[in-house]
Order: sequence, then structure tokens, then C-alpha cells
Amino acid sequence: MINRFSLVFSMVILLIGSVACGQTVIGKAVGDSGNSEPTTESSNVAESIRESTMEKSAYAKTEVKTLADVSEAPVGVFNRLWSDPPTLDPHLTSDTTSAGVVVEIFGGLVGFDTNLRLIPDLADSWDISIDGLTYTFKIRDDAVFHDGTKVTAHDFKWSLERAVNPDTASPTAKTYLGDIVGVIDVLEGKNSQISGVKAIDDRTLQIEIDSPKAYFLAKLTYPTAYVVDRNNVSAGGLNWTDSANGTGPFKLSDYKIGERIILERNDLYHLDKAKLAKIQMNLAGGSSMAMYENDEIDITGVGLFDLERIKDPVDPLNRDLVVADPGYSVNYIGFNVQEPPFDDSKFRRALNHAIDKELIAKEVYSDLVVPAYGILPPGFPGFNERLEGLRHDPVLAKKLLSESKYADPANRPRIVITIPGTGGTPGLDLEVIINMWLETLGVEVELQQVEWATYLKDLDEEKFQAFGGLGWEADYPDPQDFLDILFHSKSENNHGLYSSQKVDILLQDARIETDLVKRIDLYQEAEEIIVNDAAWVPLWFAGERHVLIKPYVKGYELTPMTISKMRYVYIQD
Amino acid sequence: MGIYITRRLLWLPTLLLMVSAVTFVLGTYGPGDPVRVMLGTRYDEATAERIRSSLGLDRPVIVQYADYVSGAIRGDFGESLRYRGRSVGSLLASKMWVSFQVNLAAMFVSLSIGLPLGFWIAHKQGTWVDPAAVSLTLVLMSVPIMVSIPIVLWGLCLKLSLVPCSGWGGFFDLRIIVPAITMGIPGVAGLARLMRTSTLDVFGQDFIRTARAKGLSERYIDVRHVLRNAIIPVVTILSFSLAGMLTTGFITERLLGIPGVGDFAIQAIFNRDYPVIMAFTLILSTAFVVANLLADIAYSLIDPRIRLS
Repeated sequence: MINRFSLVFSMVILLIGSVACGQTVIGKAVGDSGNSEPTTESSNVAESIRESTMEKSAYAKTEVKTLADVSEAPVGVFNRLWSDPPTLDPHLTSDTTSAGVVVEIFGGLVGFDTNLRLIPDLADSWDISIDGLTYTFKIRDDAVFHDGTKVTAHDFKWSLERAVNPDTASPTAKTYLGDIVGVIDVLEGKNSQISGVKAIDDRTLQIEIDSPKAYFLAKLTYPTAYVVDRNNVSAGGLNWTDSANGTGPFKLSDYKIGERIILERNDLYHLDKAKLAKIQMNLAGGSSMAMYENDEIDITGVGLFDLERIKDPVDPLNRDLVVADPGYSVNYIGFNVQEPPFDDSKFRRALNHAIDKELIAKEVYSDLVVPAYGILPPGFPGFNERLEGLRHDPVLAKKLLSESKYADPANRPRIVITIPGTGGTPGLDLEVIINMWLETLGVEVELQQVEWATYLKDLDEEKFQAFGGLGWEADYPDPQDFLDILFHSKSENNHGLYSSQKVDILLQDARIETDLVKRIDLYQEAEEIIVNDAAWVPLWFAGERHVLIKPYVKGYELTPMTISKMRYVYIQD
Repeated sequence: MGIYITRRLLWLPTLLLMVSAVTFVLGTYGPGDPVRVMLGTRYDEATAERIRSSLGLDRPVIVQYADYVSGAIRGDFGESLRYRGRSVGSLLASKMWVSFQVNLAAMFVSLSIGLPLGFWIAHKQGTWVDPAAVSLTLVLMSVPIMVSIPIVLWGLCLKLSLVPCSGWGGFFDLRIIVPAITMGIPGVAGLARLMRTSTLDVFGQDFIRTARAKGLSERYIDVRHVLRNAIIPVVTILSFSLAGMLTTGFITERLLGIPGVGDFAIQAIFNRDYPVIMAFTLILSTAFVVANLLADIAYSLIDPRIRLS
């Protein structure tokens, strides 16, 4: 009982900690998802991981397959904790909390299976022109909305145009649809129709993009490119998603803000119909572990405080434990490489070599994180397992420091790493790292916390000398999404102002390279230069790797990205 | 008194205008903006500009404010910037309703323990029970909820399995018990002490002595005379707390999974969801003004020596 008490108590501390320190909690600092939504942690936890090496298959043209119509009666209810999605409008979706629900209710031309292979969704086939610029999709004959209305190419054209219409104010339209010819004109209000999208007939949709892009189809799997029902949107007004008429495997049957979302199986679904009758998402939150133990929910992530206990084979929960690869995200410390002392690559490398990440991962995080030596996460297309990176090497670190411009503490400026947060403790990892720098190199570094909204502003304005508590999460499985966006000298998201002509050229070549093997080589070469140049300190491939799933839940796959996967799940005692 | 009430109510719009102007200006000129939070680490200036312009955030502050006020007068608090495509009114209404129900349950706990306890302590005046009971309630009042919640959860949920550990299912759901206890107990101290004082006050009154002289039973006097008179100040004090009934603390909400308004309001601040912050401030200001007014009126009705003018 003492144990259980300390469990609840530590949960409380953890919760309060995550309230207090906002974004600095590891695994949550990633990207823009749930940036100040601590409960998201526990719910999205499950989105983490799986052993998938998806490599090239993701882009190969998929053969048309008629999927067997499994129409056995749906059984079972799946209960899980979730938090209020900021939106259920696919075109406004930009976070995993929203996407996790949206992908089950709505759908697009193409999707991913649980191995993150590209599969047909509403399009049953597509052709790509020889020059790689024109995509011609054939819409499925049996594709219908939840209310039975047929989905046509015109619906797609209207939906894509709605997504990029300035009045929609989609935060993701440019990222996912910006490659389509004419989208920028619509975004800028110069045109209301996308010139590059044509509905040739009810079943044929043609999309033209501005240059050959291997990752274009992958982008179409994101909700921004999903189809919505025109009548539904215009009739529903501001809260139209309350009566969402989608095309996904589940229908929204009930949504009470802050209380619950109930999804019911869509009997008209065109692919394998869902096996579950219902998904109940508890939005009120609470202590995930306690609710799992109390049989209120069927899945939960395991946090740092419970990990030792759950890992013990004697613990009754141990048999529910599922461990999988980290999600597609990376945590890091960024340097402003134009500002002293980070303008000296030797100094940056010294800092990298001085950190014993293996030790921190083991002792501080109980292996909840995987040390990162590169930028691309394991299992991600282009992940380079041969990449050596800047490993822990105190001797080399000292040597590099002594050779650097800042060897003498007298001409070393004050060093401050800024992290997001509001008065809580910074991440444990950062405190240890700063201590390692001090002990190995005698370099003193201060931590400074800035509240999230202000942090984002200062980050964009490149006001930070160095910044931490931040991660990057994949939008779509393509190395471009990490390397080009974060390190191209012209990219707006290159907050460290890293600039290398060689890297720029490699990244630009990779954008249009159609040979998949060559393309990956280009990215790996760029990554190696970036890593060895110590533009960052890559820290962790985070994401929760430990999840408890009730033994009667079958077919639940932990994927490193949010995909529509609840239709594979079933309950069996 | 009618004139007094009318005058107080006429002040309300002026007050709200002042509150809203200050909130609006502080929000707008404070660091960070909602579009940045919306775009997170994937900020790009062109997209941000487009979103700002379609949400009307690029207009001069005075225009935005005027637009807001004219909407608010018509009961339209605008669209949330965080929960896109949701009206602020519906969001706040559902969250505040939850908070109100939790508070109601907590108040029920406070009252049902506090009043009898205070009444009983008053009868024990001069014995060791009096200081001991008062001290105990003070100790209970001083325990912070981040300590009391785990203790109650450990007992009721994990050890005895009487209630689910967290979540929300409405007023008539078992899950309201833990918040009602943890939020209600601290209120016991104040109520018990108030009840004790007012009971003792009544004890000293002439009409009680008269009642005793008439030979009425102690029990009859307690119920019929003491209790009814002693409870009046308590009721007045309660009307003060009406305004506070609309909100719950975000720590309690987080720990127990209650979809109340506290956490929502905190998130709105972090996310720079101005329409929500504004509406929340305005509703609470109104509630406080009205509750104070009610308390004043209640006082004057009960105690004729208080004249409202």
C-alpha cells in the first residue's frame, strides 16, 4: 500500500511538474503538438512507436487491390484517455491530439497502413506523369460520406480549395499543399481556384505540382488534404464538425467538450470496416495509470515514475507492457552559430563530445529515451545507422576546447540556453548536461526560462544564443521534413542560422532527385555534415516507448506517426 | 432601495468596459501572439500574416476592441483562437457549468459538515472540545489540495475501490465524490467557526432566555429559535461566494480529470486565446458585481439597521 500511495503521490508531483514547467517535459517538447497541453502527453503517448522500417516502399506506386469486405458484426468498445482536440476540422488540424481523432472520422486520397506504407484510401489508383509533375487519381466507385452521398473528384477539388482559402486560415495549408501549382495564389487571395487541381470527371482528379517531389503523396496523407462534405460545412456553421459527415472508418456519434468523444463504426466504409463497435475517448483527463489499473481505460503510456515498477516481471501489469521504437521526433539543443561562442565549430563540437548521453538516458530517464547522435530518428526513411556522430569523448572534448577560439574563459562570453517554461524545474537532462560541461570542460552555462508564447516569438526572431527544451516531430515520413526544413540556410525554421553551402546544394538536389537510393544518399551526406559540424546537440529520440495495453485488446499497433489505425483493433477475451 | 439597486446595476456596464479595455490592451501589447502559438515551431511569416488577416488580428487595436465590444453586447464572444471553429460562448458555458456543479457539491459537503459542527461546538463552549474542534477544522483548511487529493484518492479509490480515480460524469455520478470532499473540507473551518460565533450570539439573546423561562425543551429551543437565527449570517456570507462558484482551480481539475473552466482559462492564457480570456474576465467581473450586490441586499433585508443608500 505504501507503494501505491507513493505512486499516486508521485503522479501528482509529475502532473504538477508538467503543469509548472510547461513545455520542458521530455517527450512533449516535440514540435507544435500539444504545446501547453500536459494531458496530451498521456494520450498521445501511444502514438509513439513501432518496429517499422518503411524505407522505400512508402513511395512505390501501390497496386490496386480490392480489399476483402469483412462485414462481421462489430463488437466491443475501446476506452482511452484523450484530451480536447483543438479542432476536428481536417483543414485546420495541426496537432496530434486533433489528428488522432480526425484521421478516424475523415479520409483523403491516400493513407498509410500501420507499417507506414502508402495505401489507397478514397483514390483506388493513381498515375504519375513521366516528368513527375502531374498526378492523376481515380476516385473509388464505392466511396461515400457517412450519410451515403458519393464522394466525387469535385468534392476533392472543393475541399482542397477550402483548405487553402485565406478565410479558412489553415495553419498547415502551405506545408502540405504548397507544392500544388496555384495554391500560393489562392493563399494570397489572388485567385479562389487552385489552377493545378482539375476534376476531369466525377471519378478523375488531376493534381499538378511545381516540381517533381518524391514526398508529395506522403503529404496528401495529412488531414489538410482530406475531403469534406460541402453541404456539411456550409450548413453546420461555426461548429460544423459537431455533426461531421466524413469518409473515415468511424463516425462521430457524440462530442461533449471536456467530457467525451464517442466514435461509432461506419458501416459504409470502403476499406476494411472497423471491427470495433465503438471508441470512447475520455476527455476529462485524470491520472492515466490509476485509471488503467482501475480498468477505466484500455491503454496508457508509462511515465518515468512508474517505469521501474512496471518493468519488474513480478508486477501484474508487466504482462501488458508493450515496448516499441521511439516516435519520429528528435529533441535537441540548438545553437545560434552566428553568435559567439557558437560561431566556432570546435567549441560546439567540444560541447557535444562532453555529454555522456548513454548515462543520462539510463540513469535519468530509465531508458525512456534513446540517445540521438544524428537528426533522423530510427526507422525513419533515410535513418543512417552507420552515422557515428559526436560520441562521448572527454579527452577529445578537452582537446577541441583548447583549440577553439574560446579556450580561455576570459574571452568566452556568458552562455545562456533559453528553454520554454514558466517557473518550474527545467528538464532533468539539461541540468545534468550543464553539469557535465562544467566538470569536463569548465564551461559555465546558464539556463533561462521563457514562457511558451514569448519563447516562440524570440525563437523566430533568432534572439537566442542557444535554445533547448525543443523537439522536432515529423509531419510526413521524408528526410526533407527534418533536414531541409531545419538546416537549409534559407529555411524559416532554421533558428540556429546554420548555413553551409555544401549542405544547401545537397538538400536542393535531394528535393528533385527521383532515384530513391540516390536521394537517401544525398540526405545522409547532408546529415553527416550537419552533425559533424555540431549545428545542434541532438539529444533524444523521445516519444514514449513503454505503453500498457489490456490483453483483450488485439490489433492495436503503435505507430511512430498519427495514422488511421483504429479500424484494425478488436476486443477478444 | 430600488434606486440603490438600479444605481449599482447602472455602474456595471461602465465597470465592464473598464475591465475589458484593460484586459484587451494588456493582452494585445503583452509578448507573444496567438498565431505564433497556433503555428508553434513551424512558424513562417507569410502564413502567419495570412492567418492574422483572416482572423482580423491585423486591424488596429481600437478597431478590434470596438468590434469585440459590439459583439459582446449582442452576446457573441467570438471564436476561440485555440479551439478553432468553436464559439467562445459555448465553450465557456459548458466548462463553467461543470465547475458550478463541482462547487455545488463541494458547498454541500462544507455546509452539511460545517453547520452542524459549528452548532455543536457552540454548545460545548468552555470545554476542551471547543478549541480542539476549531483547531482541527483549521488544520483541515490548511492542507493544500495537492496533498489532500492523493490521500483521498489513495483511500477511496485505490484502497477501498469505492469510487473511480478520476473523470467526470455529471452531478449524479460517483466521480463527483472525490472533488466534493477535497474541495468541500477546507470550507468546513470557515463555516463551522461562523456558525459557532453566530450560535453563541443567539444564545446570549433575551428571547432565548424567555424561551427557557417558558419551560420549552432545549431541543425545541435549539431547532426553533437558535438554529433559525444563527443560520442567517451564514446564508449572507454564502451569497458572497456565489461568484466563485463559476470557477474551479486548475490543479484540482488536472488531478481529478474534471473538465472545468480553471484549466481552460489557464490554457487560454498560455495560448493567447484572447477571446476566451476576455469573455472569462467579463463573465467573472459581472458575477462578482452581482454577487456583491446580492450580499448587500441580503444584509439590508436581514438587519434593518443597515440602510442601502
